[in-house]
Amino acid sequence: MQAEQMSAAAASDVALPIALAGISKSFAGIRVVNDVSFDMRPGEVHALMGENGAGKSTLIKIMAGLHQPDSGEIMVSGKAVRFASPREAHAAGIATVHQELLLFPELTVAENIFIGQTPKTALGAIDWTAMRRRARQLLDELDSGDLDIDQKVIHLSVGNRQRIEIARALAQDARVLIMDEPTAALAEHDVQRLMSIVRSLRKRGVAIVYVSHRMPEIFALADRVTVLRDGHLVGTRPVPEVDEPALVSMMVGRSIDRLYPAKQGKDGDVMLELAGVCHRGAVRDISFQLRRGEILGLAGLVGSGRTETALTIFGVTPATAGRILIDGKPVTIASPGQARDLGIAYVPEDRAHQGLIRPQTIEDNIALANLGRLTRGFFVDAAKVAAEARGAIARFGIRARGPGQPVRQLSGGNQQKVVLAKWLATNPRILIMDEPTRGIDVGAKAEIHQLMRKLAGEGMAILMISSELPEVLGMSDRVLVMNGGRIAGEFDKAHATAEAVGTVMTRSYARERAA
Amino acid sequence: MTGAQPKLLRHETVLAALTMIAMAVLASLSDKFFTADNLLNQGRLMAEVGLISLAMTFVIVTGGIDLSVGSILGLTAILLGVFWKNLGLPLPAAIVLATVCGTFAGFVNGLIITRFGVPPLIATLATLALYRGLAEGISEARSVRGYPEWFFFFGQGEVLGVPFQLWVLGLATAAAAVILGLTPFGRATYAIGANEVAARFSGIRVNAVKLWIYTASGFCAALAAVIFVSRVTTTRSDMGTGLELDAITAVVLGGTSIFGGRGTIIGTALGLVLIQALKNGLALSGVKGDGAIVVIGLVLIGAILVGALFDRNRGG
Repeated sequence: MQAEQMSAAAASDVALPIALAGISKSFAGIRVVNDVSFDMRPGEVHALMGENGAGKSTLIKIMAGLHQPDSGEIMVSGKAVRFASPREAHAAGIATVHQELLLFPELTVAENIFIGQTPKTALGAIDWTAMRRRARQLLDELDSGDLDIDQKVIHLSVGNRQRIEIARALAQDARVLIMDEPTAALAEHDVQRLMSIVRSLRKRGVAIVYVSHRMPEIFALADRVTVLRDGHLVGTRPVPEVDEPALVSMMVGRSIDRLYPAKQGKDGDVMLELAGVCHRGAVRDISFQLRRGEILGLAGLVGSGRTETALTIFGVTPATAGRILIDGKPVTIASPGQARDLGIAYVPEDRAHQGLIRPQTIEDNIALANLGRLTRGFFVDAAKVAAEARGAIARFGIRARGPGQPVRQLSGGNQQKVVLAKWLATNPRILIMDEPTRGIDVGAKAEIHQLMRKLAGEGMAILMISSELPEVLGMSDRVLVMNGGRIAGEFDKAHATAEAVGTVMTRSYARERAA
Repeated sequence: MTGAQPKLLRHETVLAALTMIAMAVLASLSDKFFTADNLLNQGRLMAEVGLISLAMTFVIVTGGIDLSVGSILGLTAILLGVFWKNLGLPLPAAIVLATVCGTFAGFVNGLIITRFGVPPLIATLATLALYRGLAEGISEARSVRGYPEWFFFFGQGEVLGVPFQLWVLGLATAAAAVILGLTPFGRATYAIGANEVAARFSGIRVNAVKLWIYTASGFCAALAAVIFVSRVTTTRSDMGTGLELDAITAVVLGGTSIFGGRGTIIGTALGLVLIQALKNGLALSGVKGDGAIVVIGLVLIGAILVGALFDRNRGG
């Protein structure tokens, strides 16, 4: 009986599109992946989960040929391989759809799909007819016949760009497709579309490695799930055999309170008021009030003007019309420095680009928004800077070697905590948080939610922008819905349901498109 | 910069060792090289490009470049001569006024870059031509000479046995090192070079900082012009041609990343000394000018490769 199973396993091993056995990898002496085994069957969606820093990224980079393992074996269709470069991994049928989409914005859809493998005519010139026909065909197979193959990619939405990346992978005859947080930057209707594409790929026999933090997607899509923690394999399970609490405790090694923290205390006076604020066409006639101790959620699709409104309040794109009042007094905010001095802090949506200077250390990053306070005479007070950073590391539970570690080396959740620490060190009274938990694991997410509630309880006024509807509904005391640069609806906590908010978000979107 | 410092210092340690070795080799090739007279004289020659390199370090740390410094030097020199000789201003007034004009030329660079968002390479490439053209137009190909004796003190005089301009360079280097390494302005400079958007989002006045730096670059070029004119006793419109490349070479050799965000004044100072030692030492040992340039090119490539090696070892 046992022997039979063994041989069956061995036989099926031969057909496995990719199998990793005992993979380890260290960076700068720190073992980030430790003796991990992982395999893919043809036509399965295999979810890869774990907190940030658990080793998922490194593992998929090893499969994609970007990193070489220190030890362990990679088998492709039963043969041991060693990828020296991403190119060799491509040749073996392994393609990746990256989190930051790697397309050429100035080239057309068709050119992007076939970059590096352009069909050639007998004379060696590019065979445009064949290329366009094949591109058309691939997109049709992906249910994306509406995409214009001659359009430049620069004009396309994130969702469309992602479909192009998937088409590119198919054009390479990929048998394993690695998708790294494919829905992190997608609006809800794009998420639905992506999921149906993933299902059709599965039907074609493509094995899909699906990295995501979003539980509903895992349960809707995946056949098996593998969980990593601190570089170790926790386990691989068939999805029907696990539930959400089980997965969460596998990921964090303890059970997490998934409930959103309850409101403490009452709202105070109006702290921030916008009256008819505009910025060019992106922010149109925005008026609202934000009170002490309140968490105001700003919902809406990507591009609906939420972030643009935040940038206007913060002085990055100063208001072109309307009035901003703080404590009832009109103020002019023409730069982020002015906004900061007025007690406004902004935790931006794009951590790597806007939030942090990644090559610099934790203490340098925290000091950057607080240089005035951390300077004695003409000089930056190095001791104070270090003390400030050590305090932040302790207060926010930032997992780092010390204040001198470059933030680039930290996991996403810890990077986000550094951004938060930097801004809370400015002692703000108004805190704007743009996608505060994007790309962050469940553990860090719950911590940040609790922190937000605590800050509000202490009298801070918080404006939260989020694309995750459950987060908006769970955290906000009041929800504003934006579309086309305007406020399209307002809901108090009792009336803010997913249906109500979602309807306003999408209805306005359709109208904008028609207009 | 505490976290980044050990690795930056490593580059500087390598550079210091390299400079030491070069000095030792050159001293063994020619007995004239390692004499107090020769070394002090080399220091004299180094001062002009040195002053410019200090400001250039700030410029490059922000991720920018200033190609117009050689032209600003030429323009300032011409204006100094014209103000004094043709307009009949007293020489001290002419010096001050010409320096103000050179500084203003740097300020204009800064304005073009910050207000109109022109990339520094393009902006200063344009003003490189513009300022040089102005210098040539104003001078009408005539040189100015006959300066009074006291004026030559700046370029030829000595204080306590050390050339005057070497004191200036020394003080300026110390000031620049302190500003870049220890002040909020220095922090802002590094932050802008490493990630300008994040710096702006952190409340740093990015444009103001850049404007100051390009203005300072003009000021340094103007100071260098006064010293230059005083040293060679005449004013010509082609003064300082190609000086920008010498300055950039010293800065990059000193470990400053051309992409911004990294670099130190100590590195730049070491880069300067190494280049000057190579130029002089090789000339003294009978290597022709072309040969010295080849060696400097090779040293630069070598230093950058070593730097890249460190980068890779950092991992992450």
